[in-house]
Amino acid sequence: MKKLLALILALAMALSLVACGGSSSSDTTTDTDSDSSAAATTDTDSDSDDSHTLTIQAWDASFNIPAIQAAADDYKANVDPDFNLEITEVSGSSDIEDAVTLAASAGDYSTLPDIVLFQDHYFKQYQANYPDVWVSLDDIDIDWTDFYEEKLDYSTVDDVHYGVPVDGGTVIFAYRTDLLAEVGKTVDDMTGITWDEFIEVGEEVYAATGKYLLSMDGDGNDLVYMMLQAEGVSQFQDGEPYISENEVLEEICEVIVEMVEKNVLYLANDWSDYTDQTIQGDMVAGVMNGNWIIPTIENVTENSGLWEITSLPTLSGEEGYASNGGSSLYITANCDNVELAKEFLAYTFGGSTETYDNALKNGGVVTTCISAAESDVYQEGVEYFNDTAIYAQIAEMGNHVTVVEQSDYHYSARSYMATALINAINGADLESELATAEENLRFEMGLS
Amino acid sequence: MKKEKTAKGFTLVQRQRVAGWGFLTPATLLITIMSFYPIIQAFITSFKTGSSANMQWAEPLLYNFTRMFKDKIFMRSVGNTFLYLIIQVPIMLVLALLLAYLLNNKDIKLKGLFRTCIFLPCATSLVSYSLIFKSLFATQGLVNSVLTGLGIFQENFNFLGTPWSAKAIIIIALIWRWTGYNMVFYLAAMQNIDYSVYEAASLDGSSAWHTFWHITVPLLRPTIIMTVIMSINGTLQLFDESMNLTSGGPANSTITMSHYIYNISFGQGVANFGYASALSFFVFVLVAVLALINMKVGDTRD
Repeated sequence: MKKLLALILALAMALSLVACGGSSSSDTTTDTDSDSSAAATTDTDSDSDDSHTLTIQAWDASFNIPAIQAAADDYKANVDPDFNLEITEVSGSSDIEDAVTLAASAGDYSTLPDIVLFQDHYFKQYQANYPDVWVSLDDIDIDWTDFYEEKLDYSTVDDVHYGVPVDGGTVIFAYRTDLLAEVGKTVDDMTGITWDEFIEVGEEVYAATGKYLLSMDGDGNDLVYMMLQAEGVSQFQDGEPYISENEVLEEICEVIVEMVEKNVLYLANDWSDYTDQTIQGDMVAGVMNGNWIIPTIENVTENSGLWEITSLPTLSGEEGYASNGGSSLYITANCDNVELAKEFLAYTFGGSTETYDNALKNGGVVTTCISAAESDVYQEGVEYFNDTAIYAQIAEMGNHVTVVEQSDYHYSARSYMATALINAINGADLESELATAEENLRFEMGLS
Repeated sequence: MKKEKTAKGFTLVQRQRVAGWGFLTPATLLITIMSFYPIIQAFITSFKTGSSANMQWAEPLLYNFTRMFKDKIFMRSVGNTFLYLIIQVPIMLVLALLLAYLLNNKDIKLKGLFRTCIFLPCATSLVSYSLIFKSLFATQGLVNSVLTGLGIFQENFNFLGTPWSAKAIIIIALIWRWTGYNMVFYLAAMQNIDYSVYEAASLDGSSAWHTFWHITVPLLRPTIIMTVIMSINGTLQLFDESMNLTSGGPANSTITMSHYIYNISFGQGVANFGYASALSFFVFVLVAVLALINMKVGDTRD
């Protein structure tokens, strides 16, 4: 028995050795012997493809990839019948960030595709660190005034455009109408209210139904940013953190702490807890986040028709508008055919109704292009949301979002604020926690 | 002895040397290329700052090294790691030693089954066991259901969202995962202790505790020192549990040094490889110093 085992092991090792040796030796032969011919063939290959083929990387098969596919079909049908877009799906946005870091660190951009989808909040940081990766869109044929100012702000550095918007992160507040009805409220009652009024309703809802009116990921707490933007205020001022002196920010943090204490807000331990347990686990009567959260809400099929959306509460009681997340397409330094890439992006995501209609139908991607949102598809009622035309509503809200100061350190600020809030909820003094958050953020930014 | 010349003109000793070096060369080359070269490169990188596409020498040169001592989150991660070290390593090793002692008993039935059961956690991958612990201790998880069902808890407790309990769960998870691993070393060492020593002890009227403390433990000394060094080393480099079980949260209260280094290099936004390398060398020095102390303390030679 033992001999047999030993024999099998030895065989396996010998085989793997042979396999490794074999492949490496064949590699070297092609490298040395047919170097010139291989290079020649790839050259001719790319020549024949070049004028009609682009490669692109994106990460969500149920959201932005259908949108990109819609754009490719649109361009192929209406502009260039030979056009071919090779879409590579990666498992997450961080894969593309890592690929950019790797390519730029090595100084070899050949590993990058022609176009990448990139997260808005990260773009400026990567542009500052790896400026050679990105191609400016100076002479692209796009009417930039047709896009939300707030959205373009993410992809514009020193008045130079780098990205073409795909999806917006316009924040929606979705409510369960049936649960609100139990405390005698409608979605209209929840529109244009103050956070204090919101907390009162939230307490009633929790008492009557045992469900929280809002939930959020406690470690990646986006609430602060969204609530602050609805007030038109940023966590940054002139490139420096603006936290402990920021009275609006402090008021908002007090609201968040109060909401947790009164069982109005449930803070999940992490992102998957937030989506799987609180939203899909039917723990909440309300969801507030970028509109990309809609497919997550829709996963609970038995609640179809019970949801409706509206704007955010604010401190003053005006309707609040904010934006969270979203991404744009960027041309990389590895693109051989920048002209084609620019034409493709300008024709499709630059304002083609056909692209954006199909992006909405197939992926639920809501445009940030003002004229594209006027199409009929946007005016149709959505069954899950009680036949209200939520996409027209979202497009309308997106146009109201105010531009607030953005920073390369957006996500760092978010995690320091999340830390401060968790500590404050556990009993620490909020003011000193905010001071610590500011100090840590300044330290990370190298300011003190 | 006459020197025997071979066909190629080598003596026997020379031939053996050539063979020895021949066998050593591949491994030496590989370890140089795969380990030593990157270590030297990382050391050079640790004196640089800036974007990884265009790294500059830090100004002053020790900037990354002085920065880490002002970095509150890094200091917190050092504190967390040492807390795990101080609480978890002694509990785990004592448990492993006791279990090994029990299972070394010749008369015990189903010995093989028990040994396998205790060693089995080591066969699970670090990521999967972390994720299983995460779902066990989730707010709606099994542990909460059982505790509320038995009436011990009034309502579900957020184990992973409360700083002290999140730390405790990491320690429990570590003990579960690694006790069996250390037990195997002790068992192997105990089987090398001659049974006649125990017979002599029992004839002299030594109690079980006395035998354990005055015969087994001293004879296991080299093994104990080895497991202590390995456990300290492993705990200082703790990553998977912090990353997968709690993601360092809540509020960085469970983050470990390696997890923080990972965050700086790959986790959040643009990489800062210079600072990350400097932090790695800090961990390296810590491991070296602790191992040295350990070996000095354990050394019985005068």
